Amino acid sequence: MPAAKSDSRSDLPQGTLDMLVLKVVALGPLHGYGIAQRLQQLSRDVVQVQQGSLYPALHRLENKGLLAAEWKDSDTGREAKFYRLTRKGRAAMDVEEANWRRLAEAIGLILATSDGAV
Amino acid sequence: MTWWSRLLRGNRLERDLDRELRDHLERHVADLIRDGMSEADARRNAALTFGGVERVKEDCRDARGTRWVDDLVQDIRYGVRVLRKAPVFTSVAILSLALGIGANTAIFSLVNSLLIRALPVRAPERLAILEHGSWTNPIWEQIRARQSTLFDGAVAWGNDSFDLAAGGPTQRVDGMWVSGGFFEVLGVPAMLGRTLNPEDDRRGGAPTGPAAVISYRFWQRHFSGAADVVGRPLALNGVGFTVVGVTGPDFLGPTIGRAYDVAVPLGTEPLLRGKESWLDGRSTWWLDIVLRLKPNQSIDDATLALNAVRPQIRQATLPDWSADMLKQYLGDAFSLASATAGAPQYKNRYREPLVIIMVTVSLVLLIACANIANLMLARANGRRHELSVRLAIGASQRRIARQLLTESLLLAGAGAALGLAFARWGSQLLVQQLTTYEETVSLDLSLDWRVLAFTVAVAVTTALLFGVVPALRAGRVQPTEALKEQGRSVAGERTRMLGQPLVVLQVALSLVLVVGAGLFMRTFATLATLDLGFDRDPLLIVNLDLQREGIAPDQRLPLAQRLKETARTVPGVAAAALSNLTPVSGMGWNDGVDIPGGRRYSEREMIVWLNGVTPGYFTTYGTKLLAGRDFASTDREGMAPVAIVNRAFAEKFIGGEPAKTVGRSVRIGGPPSTSPIAARQIVGVVESAAYRGPRDGTPPTVYLPLPQSEGKSWPVQCLTVRSSAGRPSLLVKSLTAALTQVDRRVSLSFLPMVDQFNGNVVRERIIAIISGFFGALALLLAGIGLYGVTSYAVSRRRVEIGIRMALGADAHTVIRLVVRRVAILVGLGVAIGAALSFYVTKFVSALVFGLEPRDPFTFVGAAVVLAAVGGLAAWLPAQRASRIDPIEVLREG
Repeated sequence: MPAAKSDSRSDLPQGTLDMLVLKVVALGPLHGYGIAQRLQQLSRDVVQVQQGSLYPALHRLENKGLLAAEWKDSDTGREAKFYRLTRKGRAAMDVEEANWRRLAEAIGLILATSDGAV
Repeated sequence: MTWWSRLLRGNRLERDLDRELRDHLERHVADLIRDGMSEADARRNAALTFGGVERVKEDCRDARGTRWVDDLVQDIRYGVRVLRKAPVFTSVAILSLALGIGANTAIFSLVNSLLIRALPVRAPERLAILEHGSWTNPIWEQIRARQSTLFDGAVAWGNDSFDLAAGGPTQRVDGMWVSGGFFEVLGVPAMLGRTLNPEDDRRGGAPTGPAAVISYRFWQRHFSGAADVVGRPLALNGVGFTVVGVTGPDFLGPTIGRAYDVAVPLGTEPLLRGKESWLDGRSTWWLDIVLRLKPNQSIDDATLALNAVRPQIRQATLPDWSADMLKQYLGDAFSLASATAGAPQYKNRYREPLVIIMVTVSLVLLIACANIANLMLARANGRRHELSVRLAIGASQRRIARQLLTESLLLAGAGAALGLAFARWGSQLLVQQLTTYEETVSLDLSLDWRVLAFTVAVAVTTALLFGVVPALRAGRVQPTEALKEQGRSVAGERTRMLGQPLVVLQVALSLVLVVGAGLFMRTFATLATLDLGFDRDPLLIVNLDLQREGIAPDQRLPLAQRLKETARTVPGVAAAALSNLTPVSGMGWNDGVDIPGGRRYSEREMIVWLNGVTPGYFTTYGTKLLAGRDFASTDREGMAPVAIVNRAFAEKFIGGEPAKTVGRSVRIGGPPSTSPIAARQIVGVVESAAYRGPRDGTPPTVYLPLPQSEGKSWPVQCLTVRSSAGRPSLLVKSLTAALTQVDRRVSLSFLPMVDQFNGNVVRERIIAIISGFFGALALLLAGIGLYGVTSYAVSRRRVEIGIRMALGADAHTVIRLVVRRVAILVGLGVAIGAALSFYVTKFVSALVFGLEPRDPFTFVGAAVVLAAVGGLAAWLPAQRASRIDPIEVLREG
């Protein structure tokens, strides 16, 4: 895995990161490292989240009640903190996803027209 | 987890966070190893990828949302440490704050108890008092008859004092006559037994016997809190009552400032006053009336309702007056005012002084704040090194400012806590000072939320006032600059600049306070040493209460005269005399006069003060006889009516020398058309003397022989005794023994004239004491402020002074340098303060006596005092400056 070079915050805006995290966790409960891995996998290596911004995001989502956390035994034999989606989290995720798709569509429309003649 | 639990489980969350991040790193390392890296490389790689663990932890902590609490705790801990390291500054600051905040809280607590606090009764906001004076019982009975239709109930009461003793020296208790429904309508429950009911309020008392309700305080004091007090007998003025109940500890009575001991029904009044009962007196004004408004009735509605029935009420209670005065009686409208905070008697009297005192202590607090602000500025400058280090490590400017503000709040908090203790003690002391012989001022000074809220608000405002500017400045320190220099350059000049306007402000405010102190102290001094027209010190007043069972009204004067003769025989008594009233007692008896052939003024101006006296009155009092003769035993009932007037009377109405006044005639009671009273011949003229109080000067007075005056059968006669040597209070015992031998039933109240006079000037005395104390305090604070600023300036300019001295300046030049700066500051301060005082003094003109509010001497004197303080404050630093060794200073460089 290529090492990330930048040591500052993630390029993703905070809202977007939150939404992606919720989506990833929706697929099944995971610990923090696993979430980072899965984000990278699912986006085919485009999205590489800085661990520095992932954990604050996870804690924030947990405090807001969108994620629930539990310390469980993991595959390494140690206990790890697993996050799972709450019902509130699922609702929030759906809303964010709908907004995002609408926005993406609009941007796509604008980009399409500015290429051709007005 | 909720915010609260996150706050409380901080430690566990920290451990979890650590575990979580460590777990992440382990997994990453494991993955890298699996991919083929060596363990050492894997660990390094994982650490680099992760970034700063501490930084991530900080961000996670931020996300928790409890950060600010942790910061606050940290700030407080640090603040306490820092303050402990500077004990002198901390104790001076806390002490000044305690004095300032404590004084403000004490006064506010008084203001709260006296003016703001609601009566501890049911729904006090629904109570309204009938304004503008007292009322007669006939009017009350009219209102009582209509109380359920017009309102939700009404009560009446009259304050009085009763004598528990059956004769001899009085055992006075504060009492009140109340209507039958008083306790019920107000909503005051009985703690023991019962309260009164309308049955008790029948004329002559209830059939089962006259009932009395006592207060908690009286129950403790007189009955020692006995559990069987209900049903015990209680004798008031010789008449037997039965205690039927005790009210709770928080009900002191409807008049704020006065605590009642015994409450008896109005109906039992004839039992004590017999034929002279006031119950049917249509011109005897002695009752306060309070109405309870209906649930949706406003005060205006109630006023309308009451005035709608006014014609009936007034008609039914017409007094025996002249036609003009009757017209006014019928036309006088009723007006109501809110009585939520009780009856206004004491409020009106003390409102003005309290406001003035409140302004005074606020100014003192401001001055103290200015001092502390200066001190903090100086300290902040001294801490620049420490603060720059913190800035360099990464603290934000806001964080530094918050830290300093927390220190300010700590100081203010400690000052406020100490101040609260001062305040309790101070306000109790102040209330005690207000108590005079005639009335005990009692206020419920217990801490209520308003006082606490006030203290907190003052503390916070104070902290902001003196803490904000230093905090803001500290945050703006340039780290590199401060780390470099060790405080010797002229940087920091700007901080010093700010200290000076503060000192000027302090001096200005102090001047205002000193001017105030000067005015009030001189007022009191003038009043206290005023020539009253008689000798104060050797006189002892014995008030004889002759309204007792078995003593008929026409027997009172002969009995009083026997008592007087007995008093004269007591060793140590130089002279004795009887009179209806005594001077400076606050009481008065006046009437219109008519002088045939004399000067005429408006009807109001034709009213003079009267007193009925026996022969020897003037020698007893030490008032000079200017012309004619004193009364003699031949001036008695049935003989030619005579009178003695004073100089003020002669000058006003006859306008000639005293000798010319003798022989003229005067008619008491106005022109012949309104009364058939015969004219009296003036047989003597005496020097003018004070009558009601020293503030009223020496008004025109007419003296009548006691046997020939209306007052000869009054229930209370005053026996004044002049002691031949030594203090008059020493005569009390022998007089008591001698007088009780004459007649056991008469009640005797002894009062030295000096005490009676002091009771008359209690307001002025309080203001003088307080303004003097706080004026001195302000001077002290201003002096400290001046000293501090000058001292600091000298220490900052050491190098400059050293160089000057090396170049040839001598000690005097240096001293002049320092003093000139102080002189400018003080001069500016005095100028501003004088302007402020000029404006402010117009508000206190009512309280000042004997001098103009803008009296130039007082102003100049205050300026001189402040200049002296400035000189003193500058002297030490100047001395120090002159002794600077230039070589030493230059070597330090």
